[in-house]
Amino acid sequence: MATPRALWQPWRHCHPLPLRSSLVKTSVITTTSTRLFSSSSSSSSSQQQQPQQPQQPQPQQSPPPPSPPSHQPSPSHQAGKKKPLTPSQQAFLASALRVNQAGELAATLIYTHQTPPVVAREPHLAPLMRHMYDQEAGHLRTFNALLARHRVRPSALYPLWSALATGLGWATGVVSREAAMACTEAVETEIGDHYNAQIRTLLEMVAGWEAEGYEVGDEFRHLVDTLRRIRDEELEHLDHAVEHDAKKAEPHWLLTGVIRAGCRGAIWVSERV
Amino acid sequence: MSSPAIPRPASVAAMRRILRPARLPQRPVTATPESCRSVCSGAAATRPGALNASSLRSPPSRARIPRPHLQPAARSYHSHDHPPPPGPFTPAESALLSAAYKRVPEHGFTQEALALGARDAGLLEISPAVFPGDGVFALIRWHLYTQRTALADTVDEVAAGTPAGPAGVAERVERLTWERLRANEAIVGRWQEALAIMAQPSHIPASLGELAQLADDILYLAGDVSVDPSWYTKRASLSAIYAAAELFQTTDTSPGFRETRAFLQRRLAEAAQAGAAVRSVGQWAGFTAGAVVNVLRSKGLRI
Repeated sequence: MATPRALWQPWRHCHPLPLRSSLVKTSVITTTSTRLFSSSSSSSSSQQQQPQQPQQPQPQQSPPPPSPPSHQPSPSHQAGKKKPLTPSQQAFLASALRVNQAGELAATLIYTHQTPPVVAREPHLAPLMRHMYDQEAGHLRTFNALLARHRVRPSALYPLWSALATGLGWATGVVSREAAMACTEAVETEIGDHYNAQIRTLLEMVAGWEAEGYEVGDEFRHLVDTLRRIRDEELEHLDHAVEHDAKKAEPHWLLTGVIRAGCRGAIWVSERV
Repeated sequence: MSSPAIPRPASVAAMRRILRPARLPQRPVTATPESCRSVCSGAAATRPGALNASSLRSPPSRARIPRPHLQPAARSYHSHDHPPPPGPFTPAESALLSAAYKRVPEHGFTQEALALGARDAGLLEISPAVFPGDGVFALIRWHLYTQRTALADTVDEVAAGTPAGPAGVAERVERLTWERLRANEAIVGRWQEALAIMAQPSHIPASLGELAQLADDILYLAGDVSVDPSWYTKRASLSAIYAAAELFQTTDTSPGFRETRAFLQRRLAEAAQAGAAVRSVGQWAGFTAGAVVNVLRSKGLRI
């Protein structure tokens, strides 16, 4: 989506605080996302399943007994019911969680391998690097739990992302502290855009369900809150990187350009493979 | 004969209207909202039967006609809050196949079983014509689908384990796989024919899909929460072990299939040993590489 960067970049260094809340509140309903929350009959099942299963520890739903097909109930009768997810919504959620896990894995490995060379030269940066690593490790644990809970497969190129992240972290750490911070800045910029796009799409899905009169459960509210929190922490890392002279890395345009392009490519591939 | 629950359709055409789902399942779309735009706009142009210049120039290709009976790609995101998406069979198909399934031990996975089942369900004997091909693969998929989804009912019993304590993941995997093998008992005499049908090239993708889905379900119900590359290796090895055990079971004449269970346990033990060996080698290599780098750093090398 082209809009997040255009809204975000010029404001970034002027209004840090209202930016994050305003970005989330401006929900631009784009036609590209209408498919995800369209209420047309094509997206809903032809037979209504028995209304939402009671919350059970049992993860697997057994197949519904054969029932005569019923027509779509009117919105006033849907209060308290949740709409079944369409295949495109399921695919979006699965690929979003998969990419996020791959991204947090890469971030964790980058910090792990950047820290020793940077801290060897500048020991006063140890607490900062430690703090950022701890937050990324927490994000990784969160996404691992979400993937396991929702039965989403991890990226098939997991070993490749591990190797590339290790190499990137180590290389930028060895070059200089500014290069390491520029790497962090580039990665966190891409990640911030990426999370904003996902949050926007999720909020559109939620808005679509509310417009049709369906109930939106805790699962989605919790997912949106989690993504917001993680997005805020990533942007905090971006602030730290800029504070610590990320812009002073020598071929700044080259470093950040290459790393951002690599991140975008990795995101595109992880969504699919 | 008792009055059928399903009204007798007046004609084959009316029967097809009843048995086909109201909508064709959507093609699964991977990923982004951008790709959704292409799905929305592209779908109209490539819809089979669309009358445009390109479709008139070349004969309609059979491969593009969507098959309503194939399940969309394995469900990618499982929601605990939202109701599940519909299964692969419509209610009328389910009625027909469940009645035909009762005839399988006697008649095998054949058109006779389907015809007798259609009669039992109160439908015309020609009803199975709604399934692609000669319908026997649909009956096999019914067996695979119902036995796989029935595994969820055995979870509590499996998780309870022995009086010694609750079962661990490996033990639960063994128990669940064994429960699934036990469910073959009624039709094991007919299963070799069914495997031959599943091995036909046009049926291989669906058969492998069901096998992969079974392995995923067993590991999920057993409580496996790993989401690293072992996700793939565990499912691949469990699929292979299950397929081998099922094939062994078709020739097993021991009481209660105890030879099959022993076979299963030996295969699972081998897989566990192989996994432990690979993990140990990986751990050793990782520690050694880390140690070499740290020693060089301590010598003053700036790496």
